[in-house]
Amino acid sequence: MELFEPTAASAEVATYGERAQPRKGFFTDTTLCIGCKACEVACKEWNQLPADGYAFTAQSYDNTGELNGTTWRHVAFVEQPQKSRWLMESDVCKHCTHAACLDVCPTGALVRTEFGTVIVQEDVCNGCGYCVPACPFGVIDKRPEDGHVGKCTLCYDRLRDGETPACAKACPTESIQYGDLDDLRRRADERLEKVRADERFTDASLYLRGPDDGIGGAGAFFLLLDRPEVYGLPPDPVDTTRDLGKMWRRAAYAMAAIVGTIALCSVGPRA
Amino acid sequence: MLGGAARVNTLSRASEPVAPERAVQSSPDSYYGRPILKPHVWTPFVPWYFWIGGTTGAACVHGLIARIRGDDELAEVQRWVAFGGIVTSPVLLILDLGVRHRFLNMLRVFKPTSPMSVGSWVLSALGAAVTGSLVADKVLGAPALARVCDVAAAGLGPVLTTYTAVLVSNTATPVWHEAHAELPLVFASSGIAGAGACATAFAPAAQRRSARRMMIAGAIAMGVTAREMEKRLGVLGEPYSRGTAGAFKRASSMLALSGVALALIGRSSTLANRVAALLVAGAGVCERFAVLDAGKQSAEGPKYVVHQQRETLQNGERKPLR
Repeated sequence: MELFEPTAASAEVATYGERAQPRKGFFTDTTLCIGCKACEVACKEWNQLPADGYAFTAQSYDNTGELNGTTWRHVAFVEQPQKSRWLMESDVCKHCTHAACLDVCPTGALVRTEFGTVIVQEDVCNGCGYCVPACPFGVIDKRPEDGHVGKCTLCYDRLRDGETPACAKACPTESIQYGDLDDLRRRADERLEKVRADERFTDASLYLRGPDDGIGGAGAFFLLLDRPEVYGLPPDPVDTTRDLGKMWRRAAYAMAAIVGTIALCSVGPRA
Repeated sequence: MLGGAARVNTLSRASEPVAPERAVQSSPDSYYGRPILKPHVWTPFVPWYFWIGGTTGAACVHGLIARIRGDDELAEVQRWVAFGGIVTSPVLLILDLGVRHRFLNMLRVFKPTSPMSVGSWVLSALGAAVTGSLVADKVLGAPALARVCDVAAAGLGPVLTTYTAVLVSNTATPVWHEAHAELPLVFASSGIAGAGACATAFAPAAQRRSARRMMIAGAIAMGVTAREMEKRLGVLGEPYSRGTAGAFKRASSMLALSGVALALIGRSSTLANRVAALLVAGAGVCERFAVLDAGKQSAEGPKYVVHQQRETLQNGERKPLR
């Protein structure tokens, strides 16, 4: 049973020994987002990702549409005229504590870094695509350009040089905050208290602050003003690997049924 | 319609103009009807592999039992079915990869948390066992070694037949994950039916009985278990009656029913049995295609994702994972 337990960030980071770093992450405070998309542009620029083309979606100011293999920041625009407000949220890979993509990756291309983030080793990934439906947030995707998968690396290359990830660096309002996860969580708690004090924002909540959800909390978490599904986020994301023991047990019954059925079918005198 | 909204998914890449009905306001339960999850990206090679791998696994078990009983001709047929299966399977899987020349990376690590990693190793080991048995018998003239290989193959066969059900169940796709209890039985039934159909088609009439029974029992069990699965899925099972998945589903039922009927009517006719075998095999293939497309629809429909997760939250069934 223990063999199938999903692995957790802390255990994985511990394997780095002395090179292990405090877990890094993003706190995205959507109350501060002005929808400028500087994060999207800075991400594309730094990570040398191709443009998305000139599509017009007619979905408010959102012409990016979604996170995928070559779009690692995506600003969502939710117009709520009935509440006289316009919600904006910069979405990103959540760098889950229990990462489904990492658990199911058969090649070991997806790994936990010394910063507790999850990255794809592009020279190892063979494009099997298993992580794509496994991700409970629909973040990681296969890239038609080169066949392997891609997603946010939390600017692993910048982190190693002690730099801030490109999106957080470019964010003009500090809606995207980068830092040690422990600090970010503390800051987020304080911020939530302040936001909730305003009677317009009593529904505000911290999404994926952890650790009491189905992914054990995220490295990238959010302050939301409405329910997660309004922003296109799942209300109860789960790393399904936690149920893997149960699934194999059901498969074991089926295996026994195969042997039993075929044996039964073979009963009888020989012709 | 769900299918229409779901296709918006690809918009960010395509620069086609937007139909006016898509220019809707964000509804309270979704973000412009956009998918929350990514649908699987597997090509049709994968459902074909699911069927061929499933059939191969069951054929290994049947082959060993036939060998023990002394039905050597039947055992020979199943050996060649299994050999055909283990030769074709890796080819199909490699063709599906995004970076094909890196196929060997599948054996770079062994990861118990990844059913695909487990499956890759099982397929490799089964390939070695089936090939080893053939080489031992035909080249080396070492029947004892061949029997050892046969036993190994029969042990690994059921794993190959069912691991693919665990593989798809271990994703966020609601119609797959929520069916993790039934999917292995559906795949097992289809594997038994497939192996039975192959042997029915090629085994001599005198040794056909067990194969015919497997074909008929497997086809019926596949229909029953799949129906049970859809019933228990409730709203989440909707994709099985819609779009491409619905079409494959109907085709599968029709093929299975006509195959079973024909096998029962034309009991002793080789031609009737062969046609029945083809129909039942087709039913199994269609079932796998239905499962794959239902998964696609399920992930693309935000309502399925939100419905299932909201229900979990409301019933207080959320299990923290620390």
